[in-house]
Amino acid sequence: MSKELIRLHDLCMAFDDELVLDHINLYINDSEFLTLLGPSGCGKTTTLRIIGGFTTPTSGDVTFDGVRINDVPPHKRQINTVFQKYALFPHLDVYENVAFGLRIAKVPAQEIEERVMEMLEVVSLKGFERRRVDQLSGGQQQRVAIARALVNRPKVLLLDEPLGALDLRLRKDMQIELKRIQQQMGITFIYVTHDQEEALTMSDTVVVMDKGRIQQIGSPEDIYNEPKNAFVADFIGESNILNGTMVRDGVVRMYRKEFPCVDGGFAPNEPVDVVIRPEDIDIVPVEQGQLVGTVTNVTFKGMQYDIIVDLGGFKWLIQTTDHSPVGSQVGVKIDPDGFHIMKKSEYSGLFGDYSSYSEEYEELADASALEEEESGDEE
Amino acid sequence: MKTKPTNRLGDRILMGLVFLFLYAPIFILIIFSFNSGVSSSVWKGFSLHWYNELIHNRLIMTSVYTTLLVSLLATVIATVAGTFAAIGFYSMRRKRRDALMAVNNIPMMNADIVTGVSLCLLFVVFFNGWGAFAGWINSIQSVVTLPTKLSLGFGTMLIAHVCFNIPYVILAVGPKLRQMDRNLIDAAQDLGCTWMQAFWKVVIPEIKPGIVSGALTAFTMSVDDFIISYFTAGSRTSTLAMTIYGMTKKRVSPQINAVSTLLFVTVLILLVIINIRESSMQKRVEKGKNRVAVVKEPSRTVRVLRRVAAGALALALLVTLIVTGRAANSRPEVNVCSWGEYIDEELITRFEEETGIAVHYQTVESNEALYSLIEMGGADFDVIVPSDYMIARLIEEDMLAELDYDNIPNFQLIDNQYKNLNYDPENKYTVPYAWGTLGIIYNTTMVDEEIDSWDAMFDPKYAGQVLMINNSRDALAAALLDLGYSINTTDEAELRQAFQRLRDAKNAGVYQGFVMDQVFQKMEGSNAAIAMYYAGDYLSMLENNEDLAFVVPKEGSNWFVDAMCVLKTAQHKQEAEAWINFIASTESNLANMDFIWYASPNYEALEQYPAYYEELYEEELDEEIYAIMAPGEDVLERCEIYENLPQETLQLYNDLWNQLGV
Repeated sequence: MSKELIRLHDLCMAFDDELVLDHINLYINDSEFLTLLGPSGCGKTTTLRIIGGFTTPTSGDVTFDGVRINDVPPHKRQINTVFQKYALFPHLDVYENVAFGLRIAKVPAQEIEERVMEMLEVVSLKGFERRRVDQLSGGQQQRVAIARALVNRPKVLLLDEPLGALDLRLRKDMQIELKRIQQQMGITFIYVTHDQEEALTMSDTVVVMDKGRIQQIGSPEDIYNEPKNAFVADFIGESNILNGTMVRDGVVRMYRKEFPCVDGGFAPNEPVDVVIRPEDIDIVPVEQGQLVGTVTNVTFKGMQYDIIVDLGGFKWLIQTTDHSPVGSQVGVKIDPDGFHIMKKSEYSGLFGDYSSYSEEYEELADASALEEEESGDEE
Repeated sequence: MKTKPTNRLGDRILMGLVFLFLYAPIFILIIFSFNSGVSSSVWKGFSLHWYNELIHNRLIMTSVYTTLLVSLLATVIATVAGTFAAIGFYSMRRKRRDALMAVNNIPMMNADIVTGVSLCLLFVVFFNGWGAFAGWINSIQSVVTLPTKLSLGFGTMLIAHVCFNIPYVILAVGPKLRQMDRNLIDAAQDLGCTWMQAFWKVVIPEIKPGIVSGALTAFTMSVDDFIISYFTAGSRTSTLAMTIYGMTKKRVSPQINAVSTLLFVTVLILLVIINIRESSMQKRVEKGKNRVAVVKEPSRTVRVLRRVAAGALALALLVTLIVTGRAANSRPEVNVCSWGEYIDEELITRFEEETGIAVHYQTVESNEALYSLIEMGGADFDVIVPSDYMIARLIEEDMLAELDYDNIPNFQLIDNQYKNLNYDPENKYTVPYAWGTLGIIYNTTMVDEEIDSWDAMFDPKYAGQVLMINNSRDALAAALLDLGYSINTTDEAELRQAFQRLRDAKNAGVYQGFVMDQVFQKMEGSNAAIAMYYAGDYLSMLENNEDLAFVVPKEGSNWFVDAMCVLKTAQHKQEAEAWINFIASTESNLANMDFIWYASPNYEALEQYPAYYEELYEEELDEEIYAIMAPGEDVLERCEIYENLPQETLQLYNDLWNQLGV
């Protein structure tokens, strides 16, 4: 298949005394769409900046096509970047923004014209050549930034949370658009985001990061279906994570009951984390339920209801199309392939309980993430 | 609840009054700059006369040139330095940046006078250190000879201007940098720029509005500055503001109105440009938000025009630099310091043409100011023109050089009457420049008798009508003369008696005020009936008010002589003597006499003046006027020259004057 293009070998990065990247090892294939996914402060942007050449790692190597490029300045790398807030040049119009890199490279005027127009075509911005960039909408600016980077025909395109500033609808459109462009151009995209949905939608490979370490590398399906630890399980989609014991292969015990599952390969009676996705749980009449609990909260989400069910003091999130009133007793049923069993890790016990769940929960989480980012920008 | 009725008329009137209060002085100044008459208070019709005079006024044009040059250079240097400093600040951590910004803001808040004095002090200290250092270098080797004596001048003033301009540039550029997306530099580098390319192609265009408004502010500040320039320019250089200040000290010429008007208009235009730029930027930002119009790329012609304009500006700067560079070449020169409006400036040009010696002509406002300038050591004058008593003091303190009269053949033309006077008994140091008398000026329509005595200056019957001169020596002289004493008395009892006379009159409300320059306005506008002042200035007033009369009172008066001398520290003694000889010539004296209305000590000139006047103006010179301008033997007999008084008497003068509480 495709060959390896970039390799990060034992990469460490420290600012002052703070370790931001902790022994990162990663390879990226040619023409791959790879996403670095993680919460803010996890080191994903730093990794990207090291690949782009804006930051020099404290230790470890970056190789490009087998050549060590640690000390190669950004302008000599065959890599281009789409920045978080686009970083378009406000004093230049759309055309000149896109032509910037070619002019620096002293490409003949005729060729510049052709390549710029071709690229504007790719990003569907024909006819906007002479607009000032501050007169464009967010999505249009985004596409200018992409065109500006791609017109230089890089081998790799780095994208640093490129859709973060767009509204939901536009974000969805642009996700598809980006994937289309990547396939059309046939080059490597390295994409940084904290939005798991974005990561799952577009990527060939997802790298989940936290605290400067890679938590899991895999295809979107792998990551979603077989999270390696509680952090990944929680970060990718919603998860109920419970303490359990692996009685033997195919049988897990929790709530003093044994449940059939499909996982295996654990020591007998090994304590494990049990991940159950909210959509894998069925609400059934009390008498048919494997477990019985009380509904404490119901939120209408359009496609489904988010129902919080108190099961023996542990609150579960269940997504279902059927409405159950608050206070009612319900039965809960999980198919064997709904259990994902994980080894215990440092993240065990930190995630997966929806006790503090409320309607504002997600908004609050988003707001605090934003704030963190901004304070991070300052320095 | 009823709303309070708004008093719109009242609001408007109040608003009007506020603006009137703010702008009335400037409007009056502008209006009077177009006055055809010489008075600052009587309107005689519209004319551009004073603007025309202005253009031909060498002193003003030189200072305009100096002002523009120093402002332009300081602006360029400060803009470059300030921009880089702002970038340095920008890349710092916030805490350090904030601390440094606070430090940066202090010079702007700081009183100009403190900045000026401290810079002056710094330069003088440095010059002293440099003198010692250069002397040492010169003594241990002979390959290069370093100049040992440095003095304040254009260079130091330029440094001072750069110094006070930089904070304004930083203040203007800083916010633009902070508004800039930090990723822009990364983006440019990402697209193939080196750091320097990124800086020029992205950072500079981004912060250009800040740089331009910083530069405009700096330029405005430079043009506007008086205090700091005053302390750092030394004696040879003078900006427009300094020249205007110098002009006000001697005789108020309406040229001041004209030049102030021009200065006001210049600064106004600059401010308007700054404001328009800012508001158009604001609009652009708003437009960008609304995403309405497609902004057209500036047309080709506009772009070409812009380039041409930029090119022309750069060229102009280059030319000025070259011109000044050449002017600074080792052409012979002489530094002259005199009073404002005390020379026909044609003479300077003529002298330069005839001899090839460049003249740096400066003015100072009073003998005392001149003295302190020389004593402080900041000045490097060659020729000065102090008055009699100050000459005596300078000789006493060994500050004047003996002249070589072989180099000054025109000294022979000076009437013997003006040689060997008591301030220079053997006449080794001086060549007289001009002379005149002190007397009483009165308005014949406001006084029903013919005044001929100093009594009039103390007479309660003229209460509120009299203007006393505002300097201790002249004011006490009037009282001394009135009492029949000598104006050079050192007798304490006599002086106290004179002081008593002055104080009684003051307490009786005789004096409308103690004035110097205001005397012109008040007497020309018939706002006061009687004043004591100098004969030459009376003649200027007469042009605007025919009712004025002048008398040298029967008790006698002061007659004064201003004479040219060369300082001991002069570095161009030969050129100085050439200048003195030139000024002592008959032609120069005639021209000067016609210009300044003071009498010449050159007997040929004194004799020829009426004929010269007739030829020039095609009308006869009024004999009476000439008698006032150059009074005859009979008047001078009654008059005395001021002598330099002993220290204790000077102290007494000082104490008495303070007691009077003017």
